[in-house]
Amino acid sequence: MSSARLPAALVLAAVALGSCGGSDRAGAPVQQEATTSEAAEATTTAAEATTTRVTSLDIVSNGVPTNMLDKVQYNGELVCGVSGTRVIFSETQPDGSVVGVDADFCRVMAAALFGDADAVEFVSLTTGERFAALQSGRVDVLFRSTTWTQSRDTEVGLDFGPVIYYDGQQLMARESDGFSASSQVGDIAGAVVCALAGTTTEQNVSDAADAAGIDITLTTLEDFDVIIENFITGACDVTTADGSALAGRKAKQQPDDQEWVIFPAIPISKEPLAPVYPQNQSRFGDVVNWAVYATIIADEKGITSDNVAEMVAGPPDAEARRLLGGEGELQSAMGLAPDAFYQAISQVGNYGEILARHLEPAGLTRGSINASWRDGGLIYAPPAR
Amino acid sequence: MGMPMGDGAVTAADPAEAWAGEREPAQKPEEPSLSAGEWLSKNLFSSAANSVLTVVFTLLVLLAVRGLLNFTFSEERTWRAVKTNVRFLFTHAYPQDQYARIWVCVGVIAVLSGLSVGLLAKTGRGISMKRLSMNLMGTGGVIGLGILLREPSAVVDSEGLVVHRDPAAAVGDSFVDWLDGNALTVLGVLVLANAVVAVWFHLQGTYLRDGPEPRLAHGALVLVSIGVLIVQQYASGEVVRESFAEAMADRSWWWLAAALLAGAGAAVWFGLGDARRRNTFVPAMYVFFAATAVMVLSAWLYPWGHYAFLEGEFISEPGSTVAMTTKLPWTVMWVLLVGTFLLGRALSTAGAASRLRVPLNLLWVMTPFVLYWAVLRDPDLDWDHVLSTDIPMAVFFAAFGGLVVWYLAHPRIGEAGRIMAVVLVGVAVLNWVAAYFGWYPMLQKARISFLLLAVVALLAHNFAGDRTHRMRLVVAWVAIMAVFHWLVTLVNSPSTVDTPTDALFGGFATTLTVATFTLLLAFPMGVLLALARTSKLPIFRVLATAYIEVFRGVPLITLLFFFVLIFNLFLPGGMSLTDIAGATIGFALFSAAYLAENIRGGLQAVRRGQYEASDAVGFSTVQRTLFIVLPQALRVSIPPLVGQVIATFKETSLLAVAGMFDFLRIADKVISAQSEFLGVKREGLLFVSFIYWIFAYNMSKHSQRIEKRLGVGER
Repeated sequence: MSSARLPAALVLAAVALGSCGGSDRAGAPVQQEATTSEAAEATTTAAEATTTRVTSLDIVSNGVPTNMLDKVQYNGELVCGVSGTRVIFSETQPDGSVVGVDADFCRVMAAALFGDADAVEFVSLTTGERFAALQSGRVDVLFRSTTWTQSRDTEVGLDFGPVIYYDGQQLMARESDGFSASSQVGDIAGAVVCALAGTTTEQNVSDAADAAGIDITLTTLEDFDVIIENFITGACDVTTADGSALAGRKAKQQPDDQEWVIFPAIPISKEPLAPVYPQNQSRFGDVVNWAVYATIIADEKGITSDNVAEMVAGPPDAEARRLLGGEGELQSAMGLAPDAFYQAISQVGNYGEILARHLEPAGLTRGSINASWRDGGLIYAPPAR
Repeated sequence: MGMPMGDGAVTAADPAEAWAGEREPAQKPEEPSLSAGEWLSKNLFSSAANSVLTVVFTLLVLLAVRGLLNFTFSEERTWRAVKTNVRFLFTHAYPQDQYARIWVCVGVIAVLSGLSVGLLAKTGRGISMKRLSMNLMGTGGVIGLGILLREPSAVVDSEGLVVHRDPAAAVGDSFVDWLDGNALTVLGVLVLANAVVAVWFHLQGTYLRDGPEPRLAHGALVLVSIGVLIVQQYASGEVVRESFAEAMADRSWWWLAAALLAGAGAAVWFGLGDARRRNTFVPAMYVFFAATAVMVLSAWLYPWGHYAFLEGEFISEPGSTVAMTTKLPWTVMWVLLVGTFLLGRALSTAGAASRLRVPLNLLWVMTPFVLYWAVLRDPDLDWDHVLSTDIPMAVFFAAFGGLVVWYLAHPRIGEAGRIMAVVLVGVAVLNWVAAYFGWYPMLQKARISFLLLAVVALLAHNFAGDRTHRMRLVVAWVAIMAVFHWLVTLVNSPSTVDTPTDALFGGFATTLTVATFTLLLAFPMGVLLALARTSKLPIFRVLATAYIEVFRGVPLITLLFFFVLIFNLFLPGGMSLTDIAGATIGFALFSAAYLAENIRGGLQAVRRGQYEASDAVGFSTVQRTLFIVLPQALRVSIPPLVGQVIATFKETSLLAVAGMFDFLRIADKVISAQSEFLGVKREGLLFVSFIYWIFAYNMSKHSQRIEKRLGVGER
């Protein structure tokens, strides 16, 4: 009996050791995605060829780049932090793919960096995790409908790219209760207002009520699905969230026998949603900024994913020519391929296309504020020259 | 998906099987049979108080069941959200074109389960035909009652939306509506009436003496109460509902199922004729196979519908047959399970059980590693490196270590062996010191191999024996080296499976993976910690006590946050733990502390005399621990150990809080955020709870069987 049990016990021990001692140096399985043979050579410190993805920013040895842009290009894949649970911006579909405005901007960046819009790895992050994930190098860039604020830009140690969507907190109520699209904050006096607990929306709505000099009953709940349910059953008179979120809910969840309205027309808060990247990485920051700007310039000039091939052949003006990689292009100087933005626009689309693709199914339009500056909106890019 | 769900299927997965004795379980004599009426009056209406309790709790259970049924089958439920997301819930973003790998995993588990159960499980007497028939009839009856209890379906319009009643129409204009509006009052009146009747009969002193009438009166009241609950369902409420006839016609499939089950039960009952013949037994596994066969067959015969998300399109075809990609693999799995079970039975009859027990249990231990690293990850092996480095190194350690083992296991090796062991330990330690200071390069797995060799060298004299015995030890060492080096090579190769997210898979696959690896890591750790805590050596005792108290004192969620989110910041540059590895380490460290305490309880239950006896026959400490103390201690610890296993399985839902996409988080947060199913959350949560329950319940049943077989609590 003992002779049979001993080998059993020993193999068991070996298997356990094999699993935890498998990876080199760490004593635990390491991330092994996105590896190339160069990566293997570079990280080999005369030890076994571990092929790990470079994540931390402070690697100085073995030829692994310290610069964020070099690091991302070296990995050959952009790791993009998204929400994964926010309709319009990034929702996770039943096959695990991520779609939405934020996801498309990740793909724009991947197309600009690698010429392949699919060279993205999406990491779904909660609001609590997102900044830590960026600081620890778990993600390269955040497109996670994050509001650009002074404290985040300074205290938290992050840098923000250009605003990709101007959102703002609004209120939603039932028409049957006497509300209309032209209602104002003052009209909700005495109403039960439901907001997400522990968020700035809660703070904003009570500030707005104070400013309007009215009393409201503020009910905070942990889950927006529950808030909407209470709103449908009538337990909440008014709900509040970012305008885009309210519009998405109205499009999908408004029952037949109710009519919901969103007001006031000028939101009670400013929520400029912008990409975020680590502080002091200006070369990488340039790529984030200009990838977004390129889609905006293409939108201004009417360059779409459908006609971009013709536009390369016969560009409408010198700026478009430079942007699409023709004579005088500036992408090479940024460390990108000359046709980087051509790839981005042909594979993903321009700013207007990206917004329309995801806003329209939710019953939203670009509206006046996210229109191009030529149409009186705020979407404006510096010139490409 | 993921694992076979039958209780029998999991039987031999437990290493505890290795200590299972050969005893037949003690059989209880069959209860003397009572007629249904006798049983009812003896158990449910034996006294006034008992009758009141029976009636009240029957009503409460029926109310709860009715609520659950109405919730589950309501037209307002979007079950399509779960059906479309089944693959997502179980494996998250694992690519569909690689799905064959998932099925290989399920198949391997099916084969091992079938073999283990067929080969090793004790058949016992199985299930008596009487019980089987009663269970079938009972299930049919419960389904029938469920059909009656459920409220009629809401009327839906052409777009599939529920039609609401005109709010102007008064509620409460009929008796039925009045019942519905005063549900609590009605319930109160019924309960009160029951109590009054019971107390009245009791005061008359006739309850037990005067024949069955009082009890029959009570039974009638129960029936009236159930009737009220059913009638109540036909109140219109807020939405327009079908009529009774339409509702019953709609449920014709359910009626058919209930009738088939009850009919089959009745056929068995009356077909067998008398009580003696009803007491024949069928093996429990055959009943399980028959039940699963019905499920698999129904996938071929009944149009369950086809729901999927393929290439960006939602496919929703209610009433169409089940997709081939679902029913074919499940059929294959069933055939594999039954086939290997029969094979195992045949081998068992041929007397191979005792020889195959150890290899089979080893295969079970190896399976999670092989399935994860070789099958699911599909490692991209660098063959140049494998041929130039990995294989030669494995061969070197196998040969060198084999010689060392052969030499050291000699019975009369004496002092020379001790010196050699110490030298090997020195080499192993030096290698790690060198790694810290960077003195000379060496592959990590070489360092671990040296360490393993040193441990084996230290222990070898405990296993000294004759030539055949020593040869077996050498073979074992070679096997260890082969497995170990092969695994390290797999772990160090990148995966070729490309997913759109940072994890290979998520959902239930993550739940199972984390739970399995946690237990595989925590169990040996727990045993070692328990031994250390009961050791005579103060340094071991203090360290183990400190570890256990620290890890039992820290909340699990803190550990998870640390290992999933923070630990990477402490690792040297260029490396990071994946979420799943970090979570597994966190869980394992935590579970090990609890397992250690459970096992320590078992160790303390081993009697002093056992230690003294093993000393008397000249066993060394290692031999005594391995062959005398641990087997007895683990046998005693089985109930708390299984409790810990179930707890670990359920605690994996905390992964959601640490930001991972486990089963619960997908149902709770992700599906309800898909624009197709915005706000649809309860369906997913109910489904997830059901799956958790199936697994936890089967684990607990399995532990009961092990306890029974090992006679825990009887000796």
